Amino acid sequence: MKKRGRGIGLAFYGTGYGNGFPDVSRARIRLLDDGKVGIYVGSTEVGQGAKTVLMQIGAEALKLDVEEIVFITEDTSLTPDAGTAAASRQTYNTGNAVKIACENFIERLKEIAKEELNLNSSYGLKVEAGNIFLDFFPQKKISFKELSKSYGSGNIEADGEFVAQTIMMDPETGQGAPYWPYTFNACGIELVVDTLTGLVEIERAVFAQDVGRAVNPHLVEGQMDGGFAMALGYILFEDLNLKDGKIYNNKFSKYLIPTAMDTIKVENIIVEDPESTAPYGAKGIGEPVMIPVGPAILNAIYDAIGVRITELPVTPERLIKAIQEDNERKEEI
Amino acid sequence: MVKIDLLVNGKKHSLEVEEDMRLIDLLREKLGLTGVKEGCSEGECGACTVIMDGEVVNSCLVMAFQAHESNIITIEGLDGEGSLHPLQQAFIDAGAVQCGYCTPGMILSAKALLDKNPNPTEEEIREGISGNLCRCTGYNKIVEAINRAKGV
Ligand code: FES
Ligand code: FES
Repeated sequence: MKKRGRGIGLAFYGTGYGNGFPDVSRARIRLLDDGKVGIYVGSTEVGQGAKTVLMQIGAEALKLDVEEIVFITEDTSLTPDAGTAAASRQTYNTGNAVKIACENFIERLKEIAKEELNLNSSYGLKVEAGNIFLDFFPQKKISFKELSKSYGSGNIEADGEFVAQTIMMDPETGQGAPYWPYTFNACGIELVVDTLTGLVEIERAVFAQDVGRAVNPHLVEGQMDGGFAMALGYILFEDLNLKDGKIYNNKFSKYLIPTAMDTIKVENIIVEDPESTAPYGAKGIGEPVMIPVGPAILNAIYDAIGVRITELPVTPERLIKAIQEDNERKEEI
Repeated sequence: MVKIDLLVNGKKHSLEVEEDMRLIDLLREKLGLTGVKEGCSEGECGACTVIMDGEVVNSCLVMAFQAHESNIITIEGLDGEGSLHPLQQAFIDAGAVQCGYCTPGMILSAKALLDKNPNPTEEEIREGISGNLCRCTGYNKIVEAINRAKGV
């Protein structure tokens, strides 16, 4: 028999290393040839979009087109350490470091412009679109290009460092504020359980994710889609078959992950609630996007057949077994 | 050793290959076409997908000598002079590339699909790429990219 069910799952997740562990990101900004600006940052791009997002944050802070920015990363001989691409921390932590480095770079440019333009003070100077100029007398200006020419490539630079605020929990009571910031999300699922075959078919999925601010909405959707699919596999198919420390399902013919036929179009809702300590309000979502999907699917299965599943993945055999055990229990009563 | 002649990305090659060499090794090691990726080596992931005489094959499961007198297309054979193939452009525009490991195989499966069926439904697109695993994107933006490219 086919039974329909609905379920929701909610999650909150602290990003960054947390629990008092030192969490430091660094970035360096340099004026290069021809007025281009180099952002040097040791954050690793693994497809999550760190390069794009950090370049966008830099462009916003420098009030410069992204085309004018040269982004250098993943070369440890050139870039300051920005910590690991882990803990969903690059957008928030390294984003803050890039923003601080850009702000320091702007201050450095203003000092230089004060000398070059023979001004009494750097007060009232603005930096925009590759020019440093006096706000109330724009004829007094010097461009990044001119500075590149007279100072040479790489000689005007500034560093930025962001040290995240986290506090270790009290080991006795487990109390404290181990993470900062937190991100929130919710997933809703409609599915059909076939009680004869034990197959679960997802019919509709809605996913709302708080990102603080979506620096790049396209990439945010990509993370949400990816997290959903990975969680779907984790709940329904993926089984390492671990026995005595040995993984028996050690190939794709045994360890099944979702294909394009197993996933569906997720209705994504991006929630923007800017975080005051974040770069332009943006928080990381790499890991949290997986979390609420499992509970939502399991709740929907419960809604459909009235049976709580407590072991993953919910393979057809396990589901049939759970239904049978539940029937036996009911008969006993 | 076996002597084979084949066409790869429109270029003729005559080569001596070992009897037990796989097509993927011929393409990667002998011809330097490293856009052909190796994932599982057992025909499950599709990272090594190439087009052989119009059909997608897993090049990890084809022996090099079996490619004698065949016409092979790899991802390197898709872009014209300095311009991207419409599918490559659509993948970029739709945000269908994350880590990129599945991308060459995905694009070739999509090309083989569109060559046979220029106007596939979403269901047909999903089926057409079902032999290619992607761990990053959840497939939605890949399906969207193929949808965008089908009219071009
Ligand atoms: S490497 Fe050939 S299918 Fe996975
Ligand atoms: S983009 Fe990473 S596997 Fe598809």
